[in-house]
Amino acid sequence: MSPGLFLVILTLFVPVVAFLFYFAGLKAANIAGGVINTSIAVLLYFFRPPVGLFFVDFTTWVFIMMVTAISLLSSFYATRYFKGSKMGIKEETFYLLMALFTTSMLFSLVINNYGLMWVGIEATTISSALLLITDKTETSLEATWRYLVIVSAGVTFAFFSIILIYYSLGTLEVSSVLAITAGTKSTPILKIAVAIALIGFGTKVGVFPVHTWLPDAHSEAPSPVSAMFSGVLLPTALYVLYRIFEIDPLRSLYVWFGVISVVAASIFLGYQTRYKRMFAYSTMENMNLALIGFASGGIAGITGALLLLISHSFGKAGAFYSSGNVLKATGKKGIEDINGLWNSMPMTSGSMLLSSLAVTGTPPFGTFFGEFLILYNLLTLHYYIQFVIVLFFLMTAFISVNLNVSKMIFRGESDYSEPDRVMPLISMVSSVMPIVIGIIFLVMTIEMV
Amino acid sequence: MSSIAGTLAYPISSFILISAFYMQGQEFIRPMIRGQLIQSLLIAAVSFIVGFSENNIDFIILGIFIVFLRGALVTYFLEKGVPSKKVYFYEKKVDVAYLLLVDLIFIVIAVFLIYSIVFSSISIKSLIGNNGILVFPLTLFFQGLFLIASRRTTFAQIIGYVEEENALVLFALFLLPIPIIIEASVFMDVLALVVISSIVVIEKSTHERVEELIG
Repeated sequence: MSPGLFLVILTLFVPVVAFLFYFAGLKAANIAGGVINTSIAVLLYFFRPPVGLFFVDFTTWVFIMMVTAISLLSSFYATRYFKGSKMGIKEETFYLLMALFTTSMLFSLVINNYGLMWVGIEATTISSALLLITDKTETSLEATWRYLVIVSAGVTFAFFSIILIYYSLGTLEVSSVLAITAGTKSTPILKIAVAIALIGFGTKVGVFPVHTWLPDAHSEAPSPVSAMFSGVLLPTALYVLYRIFEIDPLRSLYVWFGVISVVAASIFLGYQTRYKRMFAYSTMENMNLALIGFASGGIAGITGALLLLISHSFGKAGAFYSSGNVLKATGKKGIEDINGLWNSMPMTSGSMLLSSLAVTGTPPFGTFFGEFLILYNLLTLHYYIQFVIVLFFLMTAFISVNLNVSKMIFRGESDYSEPDRVMPLISMVSSVMPIVIGIIFLVMTIEMV
Repeated sequence: MSSIAGTLAYPISSFILISAFYMQGQEFIRPMIRGQLIQSLLIAAVSFIVGFSENNIDFIILGIFIVFLRGALVTYFLEKGVPSKKVYFYEKKVDVAYLLLVDLIFIVIAVFLIYSIVFSSISIKSLIGNNGILVFPLTLFFQGLFLIASRRTTFAQIIGYVEEENALVLFALFLLPIPIIIEASVFMDVLALVVISSIVVIEKSTHERVEELIG
């Protein structure tokens, strides 16, 4: 067995094995499992598995890194977030579902078969749905139900795409399909399969108009779960969509859907009154921008999309962890209900400000360079109208998010206190990561030039 | 594909669609549950016919799975979940005649658009009869979507989802012996069971507008 193959198999099993240790009484096992899995993900950069059962290229590796790192942060954050809280489901059940959720995402990323990728995406729905009802309020139950019904209907529709791919090519192996279709003339059936995937898997990515579950689920989930949804679940679905897009790139269709979704997300952002819901729409905006990056293609487009996604995953996780801190401290969800965080919760204020700047593409965060590359790519492809629309609405979203966050932090005074020492620290670490990624990218680019 | 199988597939598919419209037309939950049982058994019958006709054991296995999981287990969980209070047995404010009319308009337009735009430009060869048979799974899919969208109770929406699954399996059955379809079908059943056992059991039986989830 090659080292790469061994590492991939290991990364799929570590979350569940870690849970078993946790179940046996070793409470730190989840976090230890997260550390081990993130380390394995780093090693995978050097030892890739041979193409066969699994298919791991550089793009896959970036997504694996995201999933393992955010899972680690969320597991760590969850141990503090739920401390002393009454949970709607048992604590053991929560961590078991988290482990299955992580494994199903990793499975969707590494497996070399479109059908099994689809199964993996469905598995993420099963494992994550029950995580949403951790609080078991009337609103969270409704949000869970909407998530299940809308996403299941969408992903079921995506299976038509898988059937048509198999019908056309006689195989569902990703590497074989990409090898067969590379350089060959596209067929109408494959075009339809790729178009159906945009609506089917697009439901999970947050493509307009099939995005409606997204703000409900993100806003009603407990913060560690919201961070997983926003930071890695949606990108995993985007990865699967990208792999199908590669079969027969319908560039204009995908770019236009991405542009319209960015417009819709930016408009919805403008009138949100709850901060977690606002961050949810920001996720929709970022995912669709990444979709534009992948769809526009080329080195700039794909690098931009990957840079945006990995920076966004840490930034948005930071935003949701900060939101969790605020919710724990204040018990309030409304933007207008929160004042003067700066003098009472300085660490959380800092992480929330940094994360909101990160997710809105402020320099020198990695998201800025990602957005810059994607927009630059649109210009080189002569997509001028799309460029202008996206640029305008990115600015709108920037103002909406940062204005609301600034109001919560700097307006008036308050007498809240940080929920504990560790939670703000985790949110700060997560919020700082996009700057680190941005600086590393800048240094590497300068060295290359 | 033998001509007998081809001949049998059309009337069975028609009955599948009739069962779908029957479910859409019900105010009470129990007849809808029984409707989905009949529909699932009819899908299983198509799977057996294709299996025997093609001499393919995979389709026979798929048929058995459909009977056992979708026909028996899903129906059992749904029946078990129906609350004893009579008020939950039916949906108030449902104008059945109006819904059926909107349903028909929606489906006819959707299927017509797909056939005239998509199917006219591509060549898809069905295992059974001609390409026209694919109209059945497509109609069933849109019918399932409409059932989900038009109803407020958890039961009706679960049944809509099961109907979508049925459409998918029927589409794959008519098109090709796809190896993944058995696993996928079983997987979708498991999902449906998880949904039923987790959501229905905790009695989230209706879904109205929630102030916090608007916008």
